[in-house]
Amino acid sequence: MTEGNEVAAAAVRVRGLWKRFGQQIAVAGIDLDLPAGKFIGLVGPNGAGKTTTLSMVTGLLRPDQGSVEVVGQDVWRDPAAVKARIGVLPEGLRFFERLSGRELLGYSGRLRGLPGAEVDKRATQLLDVLDLAGAQHKLVVDYSTGMRKKIGLAAALLHNPEVLFLDEPFEGVDPVSAQTIRGVLERYTASGATVVFSSHVMELVESLCDWVAVMAAGRIRAHGPLAEVRGEAASLQQAFLELVGAGGRDAGSDLDWLGGGAR
Amino acid sequence: MTGQANITPVVVRLKLSLLRNGLKQSGGRRAAYVVSAVIVVLFGALQLLGLIALHGNDHALSVVALLVAVLALGWAVMPLFFPSGDETLDPTRLVMLPLRPRPLVRALLMASLVGFGPLFTLLLLIGSVIAVAHGGAAYAVGVVAVVLALLVCVALARAVAAANIRLLTSRKGRDLAVLSGLVIAIGAQLVNFGAQRLGSSGLSQLDPVADVLKWVPPASAVGAVDSVSEGSYGVAVAQLALSAVALYALIAVWSRHLTKLMTAPDGSTLQAATDRPTTRERTSGGLARLLPAGRTGTVMERSLRYIWRDPKTKAAWVTSLAIGLIVPVFNALQGTGSIYFACFAAGMLGIQMYNQFGQDTSAFWMVATTISSAHDAYVELRARALALLVITLPYTTLVTVLTTAMLDDWPRLPQALGLSLALLGAMMATGAWTSARFPYSIPQEGYKNVVPGQTGLAWISIFGGMVSAALLCSPVIAAAIWAGIAKNGDDWAWLLLPFGAAYGTTLTWTGLHLAAPRTAARLPEILTAVSKG
Repeated sequence: MTEGNEVAAAAVRVRGLWKRFGQQIAVAGIDLDLPAGKFIGLVGPNGAGKTTTLSMVTGLLRPDQGSVEVVGQDVWRDPAAVKARIGVLPEGLRFFERLSGRELLGYSGRLRGLPGAEVDKRATQLLDVLDLAGAQHKLVVDYSTGMRKKIGLAAALLHNPEVLFLDEPFEGVDPVSAQTIRGVLERYTASGATVVFSSHVMELVESLCDWVAVMAAGRIRAHGPLAEVRGEAASLQQAFLELVGAGGRDAGSDLDWLGGGAR
Repeated sequence: MTGQANITPVVVRLKLSLLRNGLKQSGGRRAAYVVSAVIVVLFGALQLLGLIALHGNDHALSVVALLVAVLALGWAVMPLFFPSGDETLDPTRLVMLPLRPRPLVRALLMASLVGFGPLFTLLLLIGSVIAVAHGGAAYAVGVVAVVLALLVCVALARAVAAANIRLLTSRKGRDLAVLSGLVIAIGAQLVNFGAQRLGSSGLSQLDPVADVLKWVPPASAVGAVDSVSEGSYGVAVAQLALSAVALYALIAVWSRHLTKLMTAPDGSTLQAATDRPTTRERTSGGLARLLPAGRTGTVMERSLRYIWRDPKTKAAWVTSLAIGLIVPVFNALQGTGSIYFACFAAGMLGIQMYNQFGQDTSAFWMVATTISSAHDAYVELRARALALLVITLPYTTLVTVLTTAMLDDWPRLPQALGLSLALLGAMMATGAWTSARFPYSIPQEGYKNVVPGQTGLAWISIFGGMVSAALLCSPVIAAAIWAGIAKNGDDWAWLLLPFGAAYGTTLTWTGLHLAAPRTAARLPEILTAVSKG
């Protein structure tokens, strides 16, 4: 991978980003540049502010303070221009569940202003590649978690975005679907597009990403190329635990009654 | 396994803790709980006093039997409306525990006696017994009757709930359950008309009904008290026995459902196992071809599909369609009708325009990511309005014509229709505007249509909107009144039809144009507001 020297064009540029929910500070002043053309992982424990950050970056949640630029355009000054150039797979947000998979793709493609025939052609191919062809006429409400993630990914890719934002794309997904999603994402980044995804599964991030940002308690703790963030540690998992200050916790000593058969 | 420890107190305590913790969550919830508690106790006490005052009345038994029967019906229906109201009673949460059905049923039955519903029922039952009891023996039987009737009510609720939870585990079942609430809503309208009739012709009308009901549990338990008061002990024993048998049967049904529930795989597992490769082909054939291309057609198509496919939307539509028809037509049937009641259809259907984005739930993000200008928002809102109008326009016309035909008041058809169209336009306009300004979440599960904490918002949206819609219609209303009182106003009354139609169209157009920039500017806020479900 290209070491250190960050490519001139940043795909995402975040400055002084804040978000509070009542008393709770979800995101506490983030500055971050995500390089274009990379597979970028945003990692952090639950509640670190990953989802909030991604929502603000993609224009789905208005920040209290700060600015976000995606592909050189200010998300909150001109959301229109940005929305056309990014794809989003949000976590926890619903789809139109009472549409079938195919109808959902047709609907979102046409809403984005693509010609109907083109939408249908792309939808067919995406459904095929993502192994959803057999379930294309089932309602999304009846889909399993893995199928939902895949149809969400298909909807996010349909308009061929420059940057793709995925919030926990592998959460609750079976290994087969995960491999399919992986394959599609790798093909997509190989063509020069940028993928930003959040996860708390370090092995996955380590094997997929070439650039990572570590988040904890609403702040960025470290960022840079994978090797740089990992540093001396044996694995990203180890480096991560040290960064968020959770290393060396031992849970074993007080559970001496556990195991051995007696009640 | 463990010894036969009595789990009843544990379950009762569990229920109390759940109740307490639920209340700790928010001040609003606590306040609501206290207020409803006070209302329940006050209302129950008033009913108690009323029933005591009925003591000695000739028709006391008729009133009491009907009251207890209605109460039991209420208990049977309640779990359909509040399926998750009581977590202790959701047996799927207990499946991991080594519990045998019999002690479990006993414990759950006792736990469900804790609460304001049972307290209210108890007050009413005590009052009912006092109303019909004469003499010591009757009061003694009364004690048994109260306990028996209360247990029948609670067991009935539990049996219905257990049967429904089973249904609720599948998506189709969940959809169905949402719709079953609607049958009740429409039934309530019919009851309302029945009660109006009763009001005019006195209590004695109830006597034949009561003759049957006093043999139907749990009313038969109260019937037994009356029988003892009149000295027919044999009848009393039979009536009490009926209630006891009913209780036994209900508990048996409940227990069987419970056992099945805790051991059978749920709907999702079954579905996965019998997954057929091709379900019914859902083609976008006929519908799509009739609709315009681009965003308008796409959005209309989805809106129309959702009316059929989304249970919440479907329920709202069926309610609106039914009530919009029932009110004018029934009033016309009863001779109390007026042709202007036909406007009810327009008003009820216009409500569907309200909270458009709330109906999307958090899937609104898919819309939000594609709206990039006020014009996009305008096209989106206009398409939704058009989808509604495809149904509401012909329906409103139909209801108005039907009402006119029943009242045989053809000369006033044009003005009634004009008024309806103006009202429909005003509802579309205010609906679009409040959709943008006061969006709120519609929870997908359960029967509530508003998420806790957004009730105020929903009220502002719907009632503020309806009042504004009525105000917006005032020129047309004024013109209709003028036509009614002016000397040769009738000659001009037909003009109200084109005037109303044009006025309604203008209002809709203006409303959409006012709402669009607000929608486009507030996309993230709307998304946050509708994602709480």
